[in-house]
Amino acid sequence: MTSEYKKPLPRPTINPEVSQPFWEGTKKHELWLQYCLNHNGHFFYPREVCPVCLAPQERLVWQQVPAKGRVHSYTTVYQPALPAFAEEAPFIHALIELDAGARIVGNVVGLSREEVEGNALELNQPVEAVFEDVTDEWTLVKWQRVDG
Amino acid sequence: MSLRGAAAIIGIAELPTQRATPGRSSLGLMGDAARIAVHDAHLRKEDIDGLITEGGTVYPGLVSEYLGLRPRFASGASMMGASGATATTLAAMAVQNGLANNVLVVIGSARNNAIPEAGAGPTGIATELDATVGTAAGAGTGYAMMYKKHMELYGTTQEQLAHVAANQRFNTLENPNSAFQGQPISVEDVMASRYVNYPLRLLECVMPCGGAAAIVVTSADRAKASHNKPVYILGSGVGTDPQTAWQRPVITETPVARSAPIAFEMSGYTPRDIQFAEFYDCYTILVSMCLEDSGLVQKGEIGPFFASTDTTYKGAFPINTDGGQLSSGQPNLAGGFRHVVEGARQIMGRAETRQVARNDLCLVNG
Repeated sequence: MTSEYKKPLPRPTINPEVSQPFWEGTKKHELWLQYCLNHNGHFFYPREVCPVCLAPQERLVWQQVPAKGRVHSYTTVYQPALPAFAEEAPFIHALIELDAGARIVGNVVGLSREEVEGNALELNQPVEAVFEDVTDEWTLVKWQRVDG
Repeated sequence: MSLRGAAAIIGIAELPTQRATPGRSSLGLMGDAARIAVHDAHLRKEDIDGLITEGGTVYPGLVSEYLGLRPRFASGASMMGASGATATTLAAMAVQNGLANNVLVVIGSARNNAIPEAGAGPTGIATELDATVGTAAGAGTGYAMMYKKHMELYGTTQEQLAHVAANQRFNTLENPNSAFQGQPISVEDVMASRYVNYPLRLLECVMPCGGAAAIVVTSADRAKASHNKPVYILGSGVGTDPQTAWQRPVITETPVARSAPIAFEMSGYTPRDIQFAEFYDCYTILVSMCLEDSGLVQKGEIGPFFASTDTTYKGAFPINTDGGQLSSGQPNLAGGFRHVVEGARQIMGRAETRQVARNDLCLVNG
């Protein structure tokens, strides 16, 4: 699997150190989010200040959260902007509202071709994470439907 | 203190929007647009003492160097597609406060590579996460998710929004600056075009192009002697939102919900007074949500509005009278600026075959 993966791997560019716990979490097949001790809420993506209340890094801690959420919205990608995804199209690109109260984007997998092209995925559909070890270094988070 | 009536646009320029601009640089295109706008204002280059450009990639120092300008007021307005409208506001503020007399706003982008290498440019969450799930900066995935949510929340249909593309195409048919001049499309054509990102179809997306635009802004006093009918700026608001669509708290809302009320309050007018609109339109859903957030159409009612209203330049409420970006092409960072130029052109009464009948009051969203 390691040398075969041809699609983009995560390339943290704002501050790789800050987002490291998230990616260490996915490697363990766990979902970790930053939690702000000032306003008492989770947020994503990883930052050095809280995007809700501007609390400093010292007030931000990492917590494992349930890897569950709901489909807030989605699009079915027929013409991927990245050539590496061309063979997979059409595929689902969704905005997931996590039960922990933050949002993340990811692919929803496990739908048949007919379901994908028939727009069978419904908004508010409960989903859970599927962790995919794409290389020895990186594990990506995908999502699949579960019963509500 | 307010911007109301303090400044006016007295000269405009727009180069043809083209799929490719071989042999031309962004600075070169900006130079052409600048010359035409200054000439159109019946000014000399020496009269220009203020300069505003997009500023993020082509900053004022480079432009003043290339064009041989020595402004006493200069600034960038790095607001992506909204740079032109933002720069227009900054220009009005500058002349109102005596920082300059005649401000040239010029934005342009060459387009010589067939397709830019997706994913290579951006940084941040775009490369850390978005690229791994199959999207890239500028791709329609974010707007498509907004579209899907809007359909769910308000019952908006794809056929309703197909009218946006079809009506704007009608408006551009005789526009010599349009990449789609003389190429009509119907609602059925839009519905029959392939999906790019469901629910967005191909004919609901802009085509990346090159081009340039420019205006000259002067004080209200100087504008009285203008050769052209002055286009007074009566109010303005400038808002922004997270660059990444999915980082926005409410994905069916745009910053126009915050900027439009300020512009209206400053102007003394209400949405009911507006006669026609020139609105940023990278995708059908985006122009639709912005029209709602401006107050011109009630939130959630844009679908029925487009299904029942003639928004062509001949219609009851003209929108994007030159075809907008959807039907003229999107000249990159100058894309939003085209809306400012077309609004001014209509108010000056110079839109020729597509001239709107009522042309006193326009709402522009860059």
